[in-house]
Amino acid sequence: MKRMLRNAILSSALLAAASVAVPAVAQDEAIYIPNLAYRTGPFAATGTPLMNGQRDYITLLNERDGGLNGVKLEYDECETGYNTEKGVECYEKTKARAVVTQPWSTGITLQVLPKSNVDKIPILAPGYGFSPMADGKVFQWAYNPPSSYWDGASMILKNISDGNLDSLKDKKIAFLHLDHPFGKEPLPLLEVLAEKHGFNLVPIPVGLTEMQNQSAQWLQIRRERPDFVVMWGWGAMNAGAITEAVKTKYPMDQFVGVWWSGHDGDLKLVGDQGKGYRSISWSVPNSEAPLMADIKKYVVDAGKSQINQSEGEFDSVFYQRGLMISVILVEGIKAAQEEFDVRNPSPEQLRWGLENIKLDEARLKELGAEGMLVPFSTSCADHTGHGGGWMLQWDGAKFVKASDLLTPDRTEIEKLEAEKAKEYAEANAPWPVNEECSM
Amino acid sequence: MEFLNDVLVQPFADMAAAPDFLLQVLWEGLVGGVLYALIALGFVLIYKSSRIFNFAQGIMVVFAALTLVGLYEKGVPALLALPLTLAVMLVLAMTIERVVLRPLVNQPDIILFMATIGITLFLIGFGELIFGGENKVMITEQLFIPTGSIVFEPFGGFVSIEEKDLTAVIGAMVLVAALLVFLNKSKIGRAIRALGDDHQAALSVGISLSTIWVIVWFIAGVIALATGIVWGARAGVSFALEVIAFKALPVLMLGGLESVMGAIIGGLAIGILEKLFEIYWGQPLLGGNTEAWFAYMLALLVLLFRPQGLFGEKIIERV
Repeated sequence: MKRMLRNAILSSALLAAASVAVPAVAQDEAIYIPNLAYRTGPFAATGTPLMNGQRDYITLLNERDGGLNGVKLEYDECETGYNTEKGVECYEKTKARAVVTQPWSTGITLQVLPKSNVDKIPILAPGYGFSPMADGKVFQWAYNPPSSYWDGASMILKNISDGNLDSLKDKKIAFLHLDHPFGKEPLPLLEVLAEKHGFNLVPIPVGLTEMQNQSAQWLQIRRERPDFVVMWGWGAMNAGAITEAVKTKYPMDQFVGVWWSGHDGDLKLVGDQGKGYRSISWSVPNSEAPLMADIKKYVVDAGKSQINQSEGEFDSVFYQRGLMISVILVEGIKAAQEEFDVRNPSPEQLRWGLENIKLDEARLKELGAEGMLVPFSTSCADHTGHGGGWMLQWDGAKFVKASDLLTPDRTEIEKLEAEKAKEYAEANAPWPVNEECSM
Repeated sequence: MEFLNDVLVQPFADMAAAPDFLLQVLWEGLVGGVLYALIALGFVLIYKSSRIFNFAQGIMVVFAALTLVGLYEKGVPALLALPLTLAVMLVLAMTIERVVLRPLVNQPDIILFMATIGITLFLIGFGELIFGGENKVMITEQLFIPTGSIVFEPFGGFVSIEEKDLTAVIGAMVLVAALLVFLNKSKIGRAIRALGDDHQAALSVGISLSTIWVIVWFIAGVIALATGIVWGARAGVSFALEVIAFKALPVLMLGGLESVMGAIIGGLAIGILEKLFEIYWGQPLLGGNTEAWFAYMLALLVLLFRPQGLFGEKIIERV
């Protein structure tokens, strides 16, 4: 009886060990890519198409190519609802297997940033996060390609001033922004540029509970009569602002937003009345591109996508930007695989990969995404690439490209990046700095 | 001296210098106030009849509006989608009463409050699963809500009134009037008030707790639908609508949790005062976005002098 019991315990233990061992091997094989997604909460409307895009590019590689260089990619979402505390929880939950952190909010990025030096997992925040992350010497583990918020603010000002910021002298620019770390991010640069070029900057914050009723903010705009309104909006704030702009009869061609304020879903609410509204963007939708044909064939038509076809999500700016975000990440992983001759790079190896991305026009063409993303390259010292962007304009039904490639004026940005990066490192001392980096 | 001038003189000088603008500010404040009152009413009704602070009121607004737009998108005509949405809200009320409230009768208030947080989380997930998270366009025109604007030119300036805002104000007034008549004149209304006063006594005279709870949660659902239509017409229907429920909290503090009149007057007062303060004091002196905290400050001030709120009941409990 005793022996039977011992045998039973032994065989159950062996069975349990075997069942644990099998998935462990499988997990080692796949490259684990967590995403701190937000498909619920007040910002879900903005998040959903972006996450769908990120997910679908990874699905395409797995379905069409069997993964990346023969290794499957395991895309996994942890829902944050765009809530900073939940984001940090998700980070802690996924970091054991993660090769990268995709924090998806400036608030979460700022929380995770100090942890990256300890956990040694790179943070990838394309087009968001803290602008001084461009300084790779100080922020060794953080990447925000292809353009930072300060690049975006510079390009918007360059565009509305026809390339001569001095022409903005004595003009009034209202800066309508979400009262949140994301919304306040470009303020230091805008203040410096206002001082330098003599324009009058009027910051107008929008609280989280006021996003859908911005009548007070637009009454202020009516009273101040600014020459331009520049918007740093996210989620429901964009739709709220655009409907109020229509109501206030503010000229749409004097209203420009950052890339997160150029969402088809928001503009569809006002349709023709939003004609002329512009948004700077480092990606351009092109549903005719070869990459999109593959996405359609291997992912959408195969029933493996979560996009909402009836609302035209496939053609939208945000869905296709989500695809480009995964393109950037995968290029980093590929660079690491090739440099270190490994199938499943470690987070530290991916860090090398992310600072050696070369997404030039030729490479984008090879990927079938020519013209869909600004060409850029990163380096040890430059974690952004500063690829620039295009102005997109709402034509009443969709966003269309309305400018040639714009580039930021880096004179003031570089100074500010160095200053704020130094401030950050001092405030978080001891903060390791990578002195080996050279431009 | 300059500071005193900025606080005590300049704002009134600005008001006098541009009276048309002042009228516009007052109108926007009134519209905001009516909308706050609507949300607060949903809370008050449920609290009055069951002593539950319904945390799910915000998500009910989203759920009702998403159901309406979702049904329309699935090909149901707008005028049929409206009663169908009401039917969905009735089913929701019955389910909540049967599955959540009935097993928790006689439990402490905090348990019931926690249960409404559970309802919120369920409705977020369920709504997301069925309707997705995208921003949807409210079917304003299909519901025959006018979308133009009326422009007046008083004092040589202009005041623009959105027809959908005007409809919202009139609609909300009709809804509130109907609700007051229902609560004060009908048999069920009296039963609801009786339950609010004393559960045990109401039960002893034969009032059915479960029926009244279904009715009250259904009425809160109707209010949620009205709120969802009005707010959705302004900036689309998405889960962001849930956030507006937070605007009702200071209204409840100010007006009192169990007073219908308190919700209406509190909502209007906060709507108008926060708009005036933001435009004439907040933006010039404090950098704006005072609407995020002004209502709470006002409510706190009132609570200092009247802890039960302006219209709340003064409850003296024997210990």
